[in-house]
Amino acid sequence: MPLLELDSVVVAYGKVEALRGLTLQVEEGEIIALLGSNGAGKSTTLRSISGLVEPRSGTLRFADRALARLGPESIVRLGIAHVPEGRRVFPGLTVRENIVLGASNRRRAPKAEVAADLERMFATFPELRPFADALGWTLSGGQQQMVAIARGLMSRPRLLMLDEPSLGLAPLIVQQVFRVIADIRANGTTVLLVEQNAHMALSIADRGYVLETGRLVVQGKPAELWNNEDVRAAYLGGRVTSAA
Amino acid sequence: MSGAPAPATVVATLAARRERRGWILFAIAAIATLALPLAVPLQAYHLNILMQASTYAIAVFGLTIVLGYAGQINLAQAAFFGIGAYSVALGTATYAMSFWVALAIGTAVAAVAGAALGLTSLRLGGHYLAMVTISFQTILSLVLANWVSFTRGPDGVTGIQRPSILGHPIADSSHYLVLCIVALYIVGYLVWRLGHSRLGRSMQAVRDNELAAGVVGVNAYATKVIAFTLSAVLGGFGGGLFAGGFAYVSPDQFSFNESVVFLTMALLGGVRSPFGAALGTALLILLPESLRFLKAVYLAVYGCAVILIMVFMPEGIWGWFSALKRRLRPVQPVVNDAAPPLPLTSRTAQAGDAVLLEVKTLSKHFGGLKAVDQVSFTVRANTVHALIGPNGSGKTTLLNVLSGIYVPTGGEMIFEHRPITRLKPHERAANGIGRTFQNIRLFTAMSVIDNVIVGAQRHGNEVEGGDAGRRDLALAALGFVGLASRALDSVQGLSYGHQRLVEIARALAGNPRMLLLDEPGAGLNHHEKQELVGLLKRLRGHGLTIFIIDHDMNLVEQLADHITVLNFGRRIADGAPAEVLRHPEVIKAYLGEEAHRAVA
Amino acid sequence: MGIALQLLFTGLGVGSIYALVALGFVLIYRATNVVNFAQGDFAMLGAFAMVVLCIDLGIPYGVGIAITIVAMAVIGALFNLGVYYPLRHRSFLPVIISTIGASILLENGVLAAYGPRPQSLPGMFETQGFSVGPVFFDSQYLLIVGVGILLFGLQYLFFEHTILGKKMQATSQDKEMASLLGIPVATMIMLTFVYSAMLGGIAGILVAPILFVSVSMGSSIALKAFAASIIGGFGDVRGAIVGGLALGVVETFGAAYISVPYKDAFAFLVLFFFLLVRPQGIFGEKISEKA
Repeated sequence: MPLLELDSVVVAYGKVEALRGLTLQVEEGEIIALLGSNGAGKSTTLRSISGLVEPRSGTLRFADRALARLGPESIVRLGIAHVPEGRRVFPGLTVRENIVLGASNRRRAPKAEVAADLERMFATFPELRPFADALGWTLSGGQQQMVAIARGLMSRPRLLMLDEPSLGLAPLIVQQVFRVIADIRANGTTVLLVEQNAHMALSIADRGYVLETGRLVVQGKPAELWNNEDVRAAYLGGRVTSAA
Repeated sequence: MSGAPAPATVVATLAARRERRGWILFAIAAIATLALPLAVPLQAYHLNILMQASTYAIAVFGLTIVLGYAGQINLAQAAFFGIGAYSVALGTATYAMSFWVALAIGTAVAAVAGAALGLTSLRLGGHYLAMVTISFQTILSLVLANWVSFTRGPDGVTGIQRPSILGHPIADSSHYLVLCIVALYIVGYLVWRLGHSRLGRSMQAVRDNELAAGVVGVNAYATKVIAFTLSAVLGGFGGGLFAGGFAYVSPDQFSFNESVVFLTMALLGGVRSPFGAALGTALLILLPESLRFLKAVYLAVYGCAVILIMVFMPEGIWGWFSALKRRLRPVQPVVNDAAPPLPLTSRTAQAGDAVLLEVKTLSKHFGGLKAVDQVSFTVRANTVHALIGPNGSGKTTLLNVLSGIYVPTGGEMIFEHRPITRLKPHERAANGIGRTFQNIRLFTAMSVIDNVIVGAQRHGNEVEGGDAGRRDLALAALGFVGLASRALDSVQGLSYGHQRLVEIARALAGNPRMLLLDEPGAGLNHHEKQELVGLLKRLRGHGLTIFIIDHDMNLVEQLADHITVLNFGRRIADGAPAEVLRHPEVIKAYLGEEAHRAVA
Repeated sequence: MGIALQLLFTGLGVGSIYALVALGFVLIYRATNVVNFAQGDFAMLGAFAMVVLCIDLGIPYGVGIAITIVAMAVIGALFNLGVYYPLRHRSFLPVIISTIGASILLENGVLAAYGPRPQSLPGMFETQGFSVGPVFFDSQYLLIVGVGILLFGLQYLFFEHTILGKKMQATSQDKEMASLLGIPVATMIMLTFVYSAMLGGIAGILVAPILFVSVSMGSSIALKAFAASIIGGFGDVRGAIVGGLALGVVETFGAAYISVPYKDAFAFLVLFFFLLVRPQGIFGEKISEKA
């Protein structure tokens, strides 16, 4: 039984349909890459899973529970963490406060346990430690991305959803972020990854889904996606490489 | 297309038919209300009610303009009303002026006060305007009550004179009421016309999307100031007539509470139409008279009504009926698809070496973030110039600097040999720079054609035939993108792809020299994208330069003559497509560290 | 000199009231991005509650104050549910119009229930106050300043040193992100309204013995508190406090040296000056450009 299951999900903003019947499955322990051009509906997919938007029709199930009408605050309690595009670090709170608030879903978690988790985060992202008391807005893009991921992990999710974690980051930092993502999976957390950097995403993913205008165009293992001419031409920047 | 009328005519006919129907209703109402006080002898009490209703309605029309058309709040309408009223009162009673002179002075003083308030606070957000208008209202009330030597203080002014027309004094109340009603209809008609005029469309564009309005060529600040001033003028004018009707005024008639009453009238009736304003005024003046038992708590009921209207009927009664009418009788598509040709397409020009836009060491920093960092490039006339780069590389920021939304931190831009670095968005539009947005920004409460007409009416876009000419031009632009048949639809009812096309049509209607397109392909499917490519190819060679951001390399390769590549806000490559796309740094930026060329 | 010091003291007392109400504005603004135009009416309600409880019903002050504060908390919650919550997804204009409607409703509801005659509440202290040199320290003003300082301090501790305070801050900075972390956003906003109504109510309790208790007292305090928060830098907590105190002092001096009837106008003249010269206020960032 898949950990997460979407069946013919339709999401519309007013009369504009952003998802037109999307079906996908995520198995426990996988890294799934969600690919497609801007406006294809990747972020909307994540938003519908985390409860930020209510689907017009279709069903979403997580760990065999229907997610309909639960709302983000309840869904995060089921074990789904959503790290949205643009990091969204609270600008007026410190790094430590940002990360600790990630545990807000864990009701009555003992203080010591939260403190221990915080310590683990600083161990995972050692470069954040010196900035523990710096306010969110003073951080660089890479630091903010790490705070955002750490904050997401503080909820101890079974499924971590990352929206464009490489956005605006220098290549070296991108590689570091992707190493962390691989580690997160190694520790047993399932990852659903939205990325425009298709090469990078497919290099760590077990499977990929390619969306176009709210529909699934093709899915498969990274190698299969690479070898699909249409997909490469349209979404993976294949023309760039074939020109070379 | 033999026999079938061209869409331009169809649209014009529909508009004319609607207008004719409006006229007939209008005339019936006018004759009926004018005949009433002349034919039926009314009691003084009823005359007073009707005089109050008609003069109040004029002030409420002011709110239709400022709040309904331009989307700006005015909580001092009673103050402007009071300025007009006291001018007539003091002018005729203390200074023995003619009524008309006093009325003109009152209207002018209200206009000056309105302009001054608008000029100081409309640059800031809506909260400031709300606050400033309340403050003004409070100060005016203080002055009326305390400047006893001039205003006669809390006792008020008596002995106000009524006007005479051509030597005939209008002393009789029923005759004065006729004068008020005539004024009401004239002002109501003008306000209604305003809604369908160039200025009125600009106001609605500012209301629906201020940022897009600026980029399309509307001077948002000036438009808001004009709307606010007009609203003050109508307040003053209505107040002047009010004073003449009652022969007595006192400060408490023009308090903040009355401003709230005006606001409630506008909201209840429907703030976007003068019919709504008239309806709301009539209801709130006539109803309390029949609901006398509410007298003690009527203002509390008003307050409650305001909240309930906002929650359940945000468009007011008139808006609710209009929506109902639209649902029962949806807009028929304009059947004939043969739109007039877009004038742009009759222009021809060859891609040459002439420089259209020169960007020199342009930077835009947000705090420590260098979103655009020392970028230079040259756009040649009549070419398609593409700007590419990974998400977050600064493309949209650069486009926002080019269209004037952001003031650059450093560097300069020269367009057709003129520096444009310091120009505001609407001034750049006037110079012939049009654009579209990545997240579509249409004027959501306006029809498709009105959206495009706003584009056509930009300053510096000479169109023959005034409003009709602009309508034809807008239709031509819609026809060019294949949407002429949807001209009368509401933009909210269109699909995503069609909304994008309306945005392009809006930009094209302004006859731009240069068109900035921010990811026009985003969210389109393969088929729609090919149509877009076809459309942009058709635009080529007609003296229009296109500057395009897109992620779809396929699309960029098909269109671009020249490509500039950004990464981390810096230019990393610039040149002809073939060389740029082979540039190692570009491949690296797009594909990450490990080049996947092996896979390809 | 003695007079000036006296006026300074009085001005700071009046200013503390403006600061308390301004603080309520700022908190709600930061949580909802909307200005609550009924904020001053919370003060009016607090003052009227005291008149009803302590004079009409003869309840002792201490109990009256406790009941009033609890009642204000309830009113804050109802206000959120009736006036803000149904409109939370709409743009700011309908919401502020709705709060204006609420202000009219509250003022005229009280008017209908209690009549237009201003009430007065006797001082809360046996002794009027004491003199130090030429300055007379009125005990009610001392209480206002003291409660003001205490509340500002408690609020600082709450927001900076409790996890609930941090959650409320997170909510005001980014509601959607807060909800993704499992922070109950609707509850946080509810708490903000409850707390702001209590702040307003306390301001009303404090001023009741100084001013006449009338239905219009709320809107005049609110206008000045709003002016104070713009002068201080809108949305900034320090700005609300400094702006409120400054306005109280300016107004007191203006009334003493220039004109009493136009006392209420000084606040607005200062406000116009700031809007023209420095619209971002004393502490405000330059009003940001944002696409």
